[in-house]
Amino acid sequence: MANLKELRLRIASVKNTRKITAAMSQIASARLRKAQNALLAARPYGERMHEVVQHLVAGIDPAERKAAHALLEERKGGRTLVIAMTADRGLCGGFNSNINRAVARYLDQERAEGHEVVLMAIGRKAQAYFKHYGEDFGGREYPAAEDKTVVDLGKTVASAVIEAFLSEDEAERVDRVLLQYNHFVSVLNQEPRRIQILPLTASESEDAPTQEPTFEPERSSILQHLVPVAVESLLQQAMFNSVAAEIAARRVAMDAATDNASGLIADLTLEYNRERQAAITTELMEIIGGAEALKG
Amino acid sequence: MADRMKLDILTPRGAKYEGIDVPGVEIPGLLGELGVLPEHVSFVTAVKPGVVRFKKDNESVRLAVGAGFLEVTESGRVVLLCERALAPSEIETEAAREQLEEVQGELAKYSGPITAATYRDLDQQRAWLEAQIRCAG
Repeated sequence: MANLKELRLRIASVKNTRKITAAMSQIASARLRKAQNALLAARPYGERMHEVVQHLVAGIDPAERKAAHALLEERKGGRTLVIAMTADRGLCGGFNSNINRAVARYLDQERAEGHEVVLMAIGRKAQAYFKHYGEDFGGREYPAAEDKTVVDLGKTVASAVIEAFLSEDEAERVDRVLLQYNHFVSVLNQEPRRIQILPLTASESEDAPTQEPTFEPERSSILQHLVPVAVESLLQQAMFNSVAAEIAARRVAMDAATDNASGLIADLTLEYNRERQAAITTELMEIIGGAEALKG
Repeated sequence: MADRMKLDILTPRGAKYEGIDVPGVEIPGLLGELGVLPEHVSFVTAVKPGVVRFKKDNESVRLAVGAGFLEVTESGRVVLLCERALAPSEIETEAAREQLEEVQGELAKYSGPITAATYRDLDQQRAWLEAQIRCAG
């Protein structure tokens, strides 16, 4: 009855897997609430900051932006730095691969047109993926953000990209910084987005402020102070989104895995019982057959 | 004339205060301390690390804040955006003092260009630690 034994082992193995996925889903649910709260708490700050920057930047003629602040300078051509923001761990559905694929597609497309693109990786999954394809990060590698490290990591990454953007060294300098990350729309929906970090721009939709606020001290000193903070804030917002999206994606993936395991166990148990019954029937037939023959 | 205004203090870690009624607020501006009273004209100003003071329910509140902005909106709401904010009870004075000494030591040793990122980081750390100590002290 080798088949029966195999089935029994198989059922036990799937049950073990289900225990793991169910536990991971529960852990993710618990962490999700925290991450969501952190994201919601951070949003007002990020949104106000964004609005203030929009006000400030929109009021400057595009031609004069460079003079107003070096980080507003729009450069033609040159080198683009793409930041791929993933997680350190897997088992979260398409979370990491969505980012990696989107960045890889962008790289292919831009390079086919002869543009120069370099990479920065946040999160081990992006590092591993692009290393496999022989990309060189040139030291631009960071671990994925976690609830507690978002604020500081945002600052570190911001100062790294600002330094690269302002570098005097031709070989080091980047002329544009883009970020690919997962935006947390809802628990069931994470949306890979690509945003521009540098140069800072005013949004296309010109809903010009009804009344220009006064700036004290004047616009340019405020810009000096505000622009680096705004870059940090953009990165931090993206990280808060990414952290929450990762946990949400893991929860959904692990829930689905648990359901699938339950389905598989039900199928296997049915098959096991059928086999068992068949074995019993055969045995009975043999016994009855034997008894009949003796009677004969 | 209104004698109260709404104040929000927002940080990336969440709102420290939201929509509280205050008679005025004092902030560390880029060009020195400045006070904002109700019915202020709408304006934007930069805030450097320092101590923010206001009265909430007749009790003085002090907060150590990091670099950020103060915005007075057209509706007269006052929004302080800062990278961090700590109440005196949350400040570990001893640890801050020790760190400050370390940072000052590193700054004294530093000989590179003052535009470099390392110098800026150190300088910002120093300002933030000093703000905490002043707020707690």
